[in-house]
Amino acid sequence: MAEHKPTARTGRRVVLVTGVAGEWGARVASRLIDQPELHVIGLDASPPQAEIKGLDFIQADLHNPALGDLLKAEKPDTVVHLHFVEHTRPSEADFEANVMGTMKFLGAVAEAGVRKAVLKSSTMVYGAQPTNSLYLREDHPLHAPKTYGYLRDLVEIEAFCNGLMRQVPDLLLTVLRFAHIVGPKCSTPMTRFLREDDALTLLGFDPMMQVIHDQDVVGALVHAVLHDAPGVFNVAAEGAMPLWKLMGLAGKLPLPVLHPLAYASVSLLGPRYAPIDLDYLRYPCVGDLHKMRTELGFTPQYSSEETLREFASQNRLRRYIPESLTRQQEEERLRETIERRQRARAAADGATPAAAPATPRRARRTRSRQAA
Amino acid sequence: MATKRQTGRTTRRPGSARGATGRKLRTRRATAPAIEPAPVVSANGQGEAAADEAEVSAYLFNGDVEPMAPPVEPAPPRKRRKTPSRPRRKPKIEVPEPEPTDFSPDEAPREDEAAEAGLDPSLRRQFIQEIEALVGRLQALSPGYATSLSPERIFELIQEGADALPSPLRRGLLDKVRHFFGDDLLDVDTWKGMWYVLNSSLQFQADALKRRMTGEYETDEWGLDREYLDAVKPFADFMYKTYWRVEMSGLEHVPESGRTLLVSNHSGQLPFDGMMLATGIMNEHPAKRLVRTLYATWFPTLPFISDFLTKCGQVLATDDNGLRLLEQDELVAVFPEGYKGVGKLFKDRYRLARFGRGGFVRMALRTGAPLVPVAVVGAEETYISLAKSSAMARLTGFPYFPISPTFPWLGLLGFVPLPTKWYIDIGEPIPTDQYGPRAASNLMLVSQLTDQVRNVVQEMIYARLAKRRSIFTG
Repeated sequence: MAEHKPTARTGRRVVLVTGVAGEWGARVASRLIDQPELHVIGLDASPPQAEIKGLDFIQADLHNPALGDLLKAEKPDTVVHLHFVEHTRPSEADFEANVMGTMKFLGAVAEAGVRKAVLKSSTMVYGAQPTNSLYLREDHPLHAPKTYGYLRDLVEIEAFCNGLMRQVPDLLLTVLRFAHIVGPKCSTPMTRFLREDDALTLLGFDPMMQVIHDQDVVGALVHAVLHDAPGVFNVAAEGAMPLWKLMGLAGKLPLPVLHPLAYASVSLLGPRYAPIDLDYLRYPCVGDLHKMRTELGFTPQYSSEETLREFASQNRLRRYIPESLTRQQEEERLRETIERRQRARAAADGATPAAAPATPRRARRTRSRQAA
Repeated sequence: MATKRQTGRTTRRPGSARGATGRKLRTRRATAPAIEPAPVVSANGQGEAAADEAEVSAYLFNGDVEPMAPPVEPAPPRKRRKTPSRPRRKPKIEVPEPEPTDFSPDEAPREDEAAEAGLDPSLRRQFIQEIEALVGRLQALSPGYATSLSPERIFELIQEGADALPSPLRRGLLDKVRHFFGDDLLDVDTWKGMWYVLNSSLQFQADALKRRMTGEYETDEWGLDREYLDAVKPFADFMYKTYWRVEMSGLEHVPESGRTLLVSNHSGQLPFDGMMLATGIMNEHPAKRLVRTLYATWFPTLPFISDFLTKCGQVLATDDNGLRLLEQDELVAVFPEGYKGVGKLFKDRYRLARFGRGGFVRMALRTGAPLVPVAVVGAEETYISLAKSSAMARLTGFPYFPISPTFPWLGLLGFVPLPTKWYIDIGEPIPTDQYGPRAASNLMLVSQLTDQVRNVVQEMIYARLAKRRSIFTG
């Protein structure tokens, strides 16, 4: 690992995470906070829904012209850019937020002399094509269809990153292309596909697929923050498998439709009815994991089968106790409240030894929020 | 029993041709209830140390009766089965345990015994007439054939054989004959057994289906599904063994393990040659290696076919796929002629097209895999492509559209290939590891090796064509 720039203030390495109001930002930020040598700053246009303990939150939009000044002032060593709106229909507003936001942010990052930047992308950017090799290396050209908004945006962002790598060679830019993300709680194109009532597939096509557990997504992003590995990497769980096997393991019966019919109906009804572009259910779009194993040095904890089995069991469980997740959250919230009240009581009593470590960070957060 | 039969054959009928028909007939007869005793007796007789001369002679006789039937088609045994059925049932019902003479190695002594019991002498006469008619037919069919046996002599011999057997043996045989018939079907256990068999097979099917639906099956990293392969292999085996009667030679040139690149000519409008090459190596190669054929980019766009190819372990032809396979020490087959080869016109048959751009040689050089030339002869004549229609090809999206005497005109019937005789010759490997992986960028070497392989394949084809006398029989 190269030498990091510790900030004078805390003596810790500063990591800035964008999109902490979103799912991935919030999860990566809370995992990074667990690392004692890191000071984590969260950045988003709106505060995270559930409070992230120990996060130094700054409320700001990526389009804010003062972003460069913020970066120069805070001097983050690493930025993790996870602000991304996942939308199926191509829309100008989301393009503005995703692509233009990323361009402006990464421009400011390069300007401020940040050492490292980590981005999350998808293997879907390669595009599913009949001419694809089964295992696509990272240098494969990006041919994702332009019909799906998030895919179009990802391809644009990747093209920009590719240019940035050449223009700013000092910046260690790590782009992680994740396979289809599957997790019991998260919402991704693949989980939406697997949760649909009728999972429409194409009759007579059974392409190879790759998945990754949502915890491994967070794990890989954290790994990329902690280890320096510039470049683009495919990240997926071990064991590519055919679509039908994948659906079987995920507890879903496929609904095969003749492919001309399926294409016609999706183009008629709109992409809302097919969370994943039909080409991905027809041709393989699988990443070669050689670079992930060697250069990135990351090993996913879940295999594909484990990921899908867990998804299936959680899905089945949800049928019987749909409120289990919210109850867990409520319990967590109550515990935090108890803790907070105890702290307040201790402060009122005048003796503050127990609450001492938590106070300065809380104070700074409120300060920075006012500043924003 | 076999030994008995053989003694019979060797002693009594030396040199007489007992064809497959005779053997087939014997098995037929074994299934026919009345004739059942023959094998049983011999088994029993062997088990009993008292394989006395008389018994043997009974068998010798038995062995002699049989050759009469062979040249005659199945009709006679059917007749014979019908005729004796009546008396056979009668003793069972009316005479539960007849006198020891009841034994019968064939239906004839039953007939005899029935006559003795005064049951139906007319049947006996009928039987004799039938045998005589049979012998007459036999002699008409093969004029040179002469027999010293008359129907009366046959009956005598049967009687002798029956008398020579010890009585418990005879009784056991009788029971066997009886049980074979009525009792089994009336027995509850028979039906129970049938139900168990049916049930377990149904359960197995249901389990298999459930496993498929819940994803509990194994696929390798290329999508090969062994269960699926086992399910579709009988078709390939049929085409290989029965339809095209493929003959393979030079299998010793395919190594038992390690990376190897088979380079074959391509022909026959539909890529059956790849299928036959893979089937042949899987069936006849000592290591039963799976051939990973690299297929053209058109196939992934076709429903079912893309699925079929992937599940059978075949892989799309790209450089990355080929290199990855060879690095995994797989046996890879390529058809460098591509569409130009497979879509050849009939008049151009066995004239090799251009061998691609030498991509396969680069693949071999980079991985150090030996190039093994393969010549497939016979596939060219499976379809007769008289012309190619580019307009139809554009319309249907096919890479080429052949016009054959049958193809577009007869619809699906046009897809039925002709049952030509195939030869697959595997030539000596051309090693590439001495050049090193960097030689892949040596254009001169690549084109030289490409031409070398092409010439070898062409020579092998000509050598085979020179030996081949007929398209259909080889």
